Amino acid sequence: MTSPNDDFAIQTLSLSRKFGDLTAVDGIDLGIKKGELFALLGPNGAGKTTTINMLCCLLKPTSGTARIMGYDVLRQPYRVKEIIGVSPQETVISERLNSRENLELIGRTHGIEAAELKTRSQELLKTMGLEARAKDQVRKFSGGMKRRLNIMMALVHNPRVVFLDEPTLGLDPQARRAIWEYIIRLKKEKTILLTTHYMDEADFLADRIGIMDEGKIAALGTVRELKNSLLEKQTMVIQAQDLNPQAVAKIRAKYAEVEATGDTMVISDKQLSFQEIVDLLHDSGVAIRSAYFKEPTLEDVFLQITGKELRE
Amino acid sequence: MRLLALAVRALKETYRDPLALGFLLGFPLMFMLIFGAIFSGDELPSFAVGVVDQDNTMVSQAFAEQALPMVPVLKITTYDDTDTALKDLKFGELNAFIVIPPGFGQQVSSNWQGAKADIVLNMTYDESDVMISEQLITIINEVTRAFARVEVPVTVNALPIHVENKIDYIDFIGPGIITFGLLILIPTSARTIVRDKEKGFLSRLLTTPTHPVDFILGYSLSNVAITIAQIIIFIFGAWAMGMDIIGNLGLAFLIFFLTGLCSVGIGMVIASLSRSENQAEPLAWLFSMPLAMLSGCWFSVEMMPSYIRNIAFAFPYAHTIEAARGVLIRGVGLEAVGADFLFLVGWAVVIFAIGIILFRRSMRS
Repeated sequence: MTSPNDDFAIQTLSLSRKFGDLTAVDGIDLGIKKGELFALLGPNGAGKTTTINMLCCLLKPTSGTARIMGYDVLRQPYRVKEIIGVSPQETVISERLNSRENLELIGRTHGIEAAELKTRSQELLKTMGLEARAKDQVRKFSGGMKRRLNIMMALVHNPRVVFLDEPTLGLDPQARRAIWEYIIRLKKEKTILLTTHYMDEADFLADRIGIMDEGKIAALGTVRELKNSLLEKQTMVIQAQDLNPQAVAKIRAKYAEVEATGDTMVISDKQLSFQEIVDLLHDSGVAIRSAYFKEPTLEDVFLQITGKELRE
Repeated sequence: MRLLALAVRALKETYRDPLALGFLLGFPLMFMLIFGAIFSGDELPSFAVGVVDQDNTMVSQAFAEQALPMVPVLKITTYDDTDTALKDLKFGELNAFIVIPPGFGQQVSSNWQGAKADIVLNMTYDESDVMISEQLITIINEVTRAFARVEVPVTVNALPIHVENKIDYIDFIGPGIITFGLLILIPTSARTIVRDKEKGFLSRLLTTPTHPVDFILGYSLSNVAITIAQIIIFIFGAWAMGMDIIGNLGLAFLIFFLTGLCSVGIGMVIASLSRSENQAEPLAWLFSMPLAMLSGCWFSVEMMPSYIRNIAFAFPYAHTIEAARGVLIRGVGLEAVGADFLFLVGWAVVIFAIGIILFRRSMRS
């Protein structure tokens, strides 16, 4: 167990939560720096939402605790609630209010003055592109618009720490892109903890990633660091004509994993020599169309660490 | 203010929902219209006449039970005593009632045997209805002459009474239907709360500095506003349909208001005990519909067996109807409905306390 440290915006201290016999979150120690965008990546049921719910004082930890900007979630929940903004996984909006009324409702629960609230919601509506529909009841909105409003409601009171639980769940690529661009703009200004089970989302947005599996943080680091951890193994992909059995056999003799299907050959080993492979193939009369080293993806990292694939 | 913001929001969620609004207001008003139309006797071409047979002979029975009902325009009901008949006349269920005096049978028999005898009937009717009384006297006279086979007119002693503020059906049913409208607050208020719970709205607001008590007061305030609007609209609606308002309107309002609070409290209890709208909705209806029936929203509780009345009077609504009827149509004051009034106050306080405790408990995780 680590000790409390005020340099962190969010710090969990052996944070655990059980539901009966099921341990949803299993003693995690996590420190998220001020101004950082941290992504908790993991499959459904990994414990991401349970973690967020404990951090925003909705759920009491079974053991351990967490601190948000130095305030303890168990002892000072109302101090915590004053400085956080939460965008829940499900879209939670008041259907028969319009978007401005929804924003102002959250603002008023935070005790923000009417005039300031008006300016802030106006700004938000503008940046999120909902200005034209500000007066429509939100039940008439599209899924993407509701989702955007769901996030805006976490930001209207200008919180220092923002929790975004699966911000783009179930959205089409275009709507996801719009939300990503907005989240990028929030970086640095705020500390953001985001959960997702989309690899590309974590890859695109996060400064650091914690891979969560079965209630534990299985790996932690920047996208680069996580990918580099896989670089001990290199992979080369070759597209070629006349990929004859003799050529494949020659490569197989040299390297550990070789897969050849049709015109494509994938070679993996600790160390690959680009030149040697090209020469070997060339000598066997194979005409190479393309050859390149494959970058590991977060998907590969995840597979390597947890032994399972992310379910989409 | 936080709770005010929550109250306004809850109110908007309701009044912008045409279905909820139609339910809260339209449903009871529709009942009022239908019941009013079914039971308003005005257009019936017949006369409701009560018969009290004080003679109790074969002849008088034949007259009351066979001769009179044969007249198509008469709707005959027999009574054991004049008091009950008088009450029904006052409630507008009768146009008149006839008392067959002792000796009637003997007189008729002697007429049949050829002797001339004086045949006398007493008829009581509401003098405010001139048309009816004249026609009725003629009809009764003719029937009796035919029955007794006499050539000369029989004596029908007309005993007009003045029924002050004759109570017609809408007067009787009005307070019941208004109370029914307030009973509908149980499912509607439970629904608002449970829906917020189920859809995560409560959770979302619990990540803001909102305290549980802000929710409770916010919902209550919104429902109180709905209750007030309901009462005003219902009283006006009933009045527009012809309900007389004789007593103190303020007192009647207060009685209805306390009833509304009881409904909101019950709604809160049901919402706290249910996990989803699908649970709360049937639970609320299962509770409120039989209660509406037992409490006398549509029928008089007088006819019900005593054990059912005891059940009904354990809840606020039967008290409301009785007290509201007293105040609105008989014009009695607080001294006459004091017990009912205190019962309502007690019920509202207790159910709200239970509601708050259960609601707070249901919000803890």
